[in-house]
Amino acid sequence: MYTPIKCYQPYYGPNDPCPPIGIKCYQTPPNLYLGFQAPNMQQFPIQEALYRGTLWPVLYDPYPTPMKKGGK
Amino acid sequence: MKQTADTAQERNALMEKIQMVDFALVELTLYLDTHPQDSQAIQQFNQLAMESRDLKGAYEKRFGPLRQFGGSFSGYPWNWDNAPWPWQL
Repeated sequence: MYTPIKCYQPYYGPNDPCPPIGIKCYQTPPNLYLGFQAPNMQQFPIQEALYRGTLWPVLYDPYPTPMKKGGK
Repeated sequence: MKQTADTAQERNALMEKIQMVDFALVELTLYLDTHPQDSQAIQQFNQLAMESRDLKGAYEKRFGPLRQFGGSFSGYPWNWDNAPWPWQL
């Protein structure tokens, strides 16, 4: 299963004048992993779709913020 | 038109319903652009299109025109520019 957000630790060199960046994160929304959308997929009820931002639960992504220290 | 609290609340509720149906229509339009053969989605699209037209008709009968340039009938006097505008709701 995919994760909606991925983070990594940039290398911090000994001669790096700037302070370490910590952890950098980037969003990986579900459409990256979906490929061509299959027909007749399960849908949100119309009332809920407006507030979810999409008609299909597969594509729903709340864009989580990185919980850990730092991050973009 | 005096805007009592309950008509404002009713108006917002009706506008919210319209927004829900229109959002689903936008989603289905984008979906159908890439899936022209999906008959089930087309049937749902037509159903929602009718529903959206009925909802807008009901809204316009009570609260004034939503669309311009012939999209909606005008009341008397010319009232499509009265506040609040549809997008301000």
